[in-house]
Amino acid sequence: MSCNCNTREVASPLLPYIATVNKIIEETPTIKTFQVTFDEPGILENFGNKPGQCAMLSILGVGEGMISITSSPTRKGMLEFTIAKVGRLTSVIHELEVGDKMAIRGPYGNHFPFEEMKGKNCLFVAGGVGLAPLRSLIDYVLDNRDDYGRVDIVYGARCYDMLCFKYDLFDRWPKIKDTHVHVTLDREDPKWDGRVGFITLDWLQEICPSVENTVPVTCGPPIMIKLQLENFKKMGFKPEEIITTLEMNMRCGVGKCGRCNIGEKYICVDGPVFNAAQIQKLPPEY
Amino acid sequence: MANKIVQKDQIKNLLNKVAQSSQLIAPIKSDSITTFRPVSSAEAVVLDYQNGVIPPKDFFFPQSEKMFTYNINDPTWDIREVEGVPERVLFGARPCDVKSILLLDKVFDAEFRDNYYLDKRNKTTIVALSCNDCRHTCFCGAFGISPDTAEGADLLFTDLGDKYLVEVLTEKGEKLVNSAKEFFADDDGSGAGAKAKATEMAKAKQMQISLEGVKEKLDNMWEHPIWDNESLRCIGCGTCTYVCPTCHCFDIVDYNDQSAEGYRYRCWDSCQFSNFTRAAGGHQPRPSKKERIRQRFLHKLRYFVDRYGDFGCVGCGRCLEKCPVNLDIAQIITKVKEVG
Ligand SMILES: Cc1cc2nc3c(=O)[nH]c(=O)nc-3n(C[C@H](O)[C@H](O)[C@H](O)COP(=O)(O)OP(=O)(O)OC[C@H]3O[C@@H](n4cnc5c(N)ncnc54)[C@H](O)[C@@H]3O)c2cc1C
Ligand code: SF4
Ligand code: SF4
Ligand code: FES
Repeated sequence: MSCNCNTREVASPLLPYIATVNKIIEETPTIKTFQVTFDEPGILENFGNKPGQCAMLSILGVGEGMISITSSPTRKGMLEFTIAKVGRLTSVIHELEVGDKMAIRGPYGNHFPFEEMKGKNCLFVAGGVGLAPLRSLIDYVLDNRDDYGRVDIVYGARCYDMLCFKYDLFDRWPKIKDTHVHVTLDREDPKWDGRVGFITLDWLQEICPSVENTVPVTCGPPIMIKLQLENFKKMGFKPEEIITTLEMNMRCGVGKCGRCNIGEKYICVDGPVFNAAQIQKLPPEY
Repeated sequence: MANKIVQKDQIKNLLNKVAQSSQLIAPIKSDSITTFRPVSSAEAVVLDYQNGVIPPKDFFFPQSEKMFTYNINDPTWDIREVEGVPERVLFGARPCDVKSILLLDKVFDAEFRDNYYLDKRNKTTIVALSCNDCRHTCFCGAFGISPDTAEGADLLFTDLGDKYLVEVLTEKGEKLVNSAKEFFADDDGSGAGAKAKATEMAKAKQMQISLEGVKEKLDNMWEHPIWDNESLRCIGCGTCTYVCPTCHCFDIVDYNDQSAEGYRYRCWDSCQFSNFTRAAGGHQPRPSKKERIRQRFLHKLRYFVDRYGDFGCVGCGRCLEKCPVNLDIAQIITKVKEVG
């Protein structure tokens, strides 16, 4: 008989599950989407991720990183992560092939207010890889199409090759009822005959002339978020109606390692989703 | 359980008995520094010490802690959690350090309960030791802590000269007393009075600092010259956070020694380091010492209160004693009260 006086009573929240990569999509030269499933049966079914939540991905021997779950929970049987190659861990992840392993723990953080948004029009505004977290909400809304009003997806990237999810933007989403995709590039590009320029107030007002019964949600690099929050306010949205996400460097994801605080909030457990009224109350440290 | 008495000449025998059934962690002197260490015999234990350089936090939240092992050549990575700790007795912790463990509980025993911490916490009986004397840097009184009470301890010992008064505060403490009954006599009622006298000096000698109004002021001091001024001389060494009993920041790192077998560990980290918040893509919310100093003081004196309902400092004085440039949280508190 083995003695169990040394075993612990709670399972560690820092212990990952093993998953296998099923599919890899090259979004841009530096961004790939990885579709994975857990090896152990039952884990995925009980994962319970909601749109906007994140997970801690790791390669044993390399390290961990927080990544948004880009697939909607309405898409069963897998999780998707869209990952930009920026450093040590993400470079190793980019080398993975179908059949390779990843370690995953989560889901972490709060989520987009997808329940409260029911019956409303959605104005989604994203920049660059910021479309990744937003995509979980977009697909959730579009998979429950009749529960929501008009959907506008506004997306900007630096150049054509930097656009993520081209198959969604140009093939899948525009075919869905009352769903309108608006793409812009920062600069002229030989591969592009669409709009050129940033996501401006004028353009947003053209796309969404009335703020009535509409929820604006924005994700992207910090500078873009700051700009869009201002634009939304100028359009007439109230701060508590404006939804966005904040990002801080993270290690634990469970409110303990002390790395991701803004004021008394830990972005990993209290965020990443906040409304503009909540953000106004935080110290301006993001 | 009523108060007990242990004769001083019996204390080492008591500790030796304790060490037979549990791991004993107690203060020892090594290279003129007093630190807590697991000891197999009571011989090396020192009990007339002022507080140790490093708090006993290490035994609940180690400076570096292996979480699990893995094998990168194994197709399933073969992840195995490391074993927990044996039953142990932490002997001689000072009241401020005992209180700091209650503050760590608020972090680790919260949502996503941290089993590495809780395993050690649950298996440790905490025996506190009142302070008869204190260091010139002590100011626990500011946080409602006192040299002669130890909220969070299972037993509280007080040195009465030739004997110790023992206050039994929890069931865990009672269990320890019952396991070594022969060393504990009943207190004849004179213990409390003797204790008040014994700890008088510590109470009088420590810095008298009041925190009244400090949190409210800090709520409105985000932009204030104090952060620029104070941060000028900081060298960003992180000592203040490493000696602090309440600091709980950590990093998570994988270690492989050129071999297939490796482990993931966590280790203390510090908000005073520039790469603490530096994120991918170059985003850096705390680019200079000003922001990092502000984070440390606001975390202890404002954010911790807002999040957990208590200050994140116990007035142990270690950070001000060890800071090479005398950046002093007690002085900061005083200055905050003086400014606008
Ligand atoms: C809530 C949340 C959600 C996220 N979602 C996504 C997502 O969906 N997709 C995605 O791709 N990313 C996402 N990220 C970012 C992702 O976590 C990081 O990009 C990733 O962890 C980087 O890991 P790495 O080991 O590859 O990079 P690292 O090797 O750690 O470094 C990456 C970059 O950080 C900077 N850096 C780090 N340390 C230093 C240093 N000492 N000196 C100078 N520069 C330094 C550099 O710019 C470097 O290129 C998210 C982050 C958070 C917090
Ligand atoms: S110990 Fe002093 S010098 Fe070192 S980081 Fe802390 S405040 Fe700065
Ligand atoms: S901040 Fe300084 S005085 Fe307060 S508990 Fe930490 S080390 Fe002790
Ligand atoms: S990532 Fe550790 S506290 Fe948020």
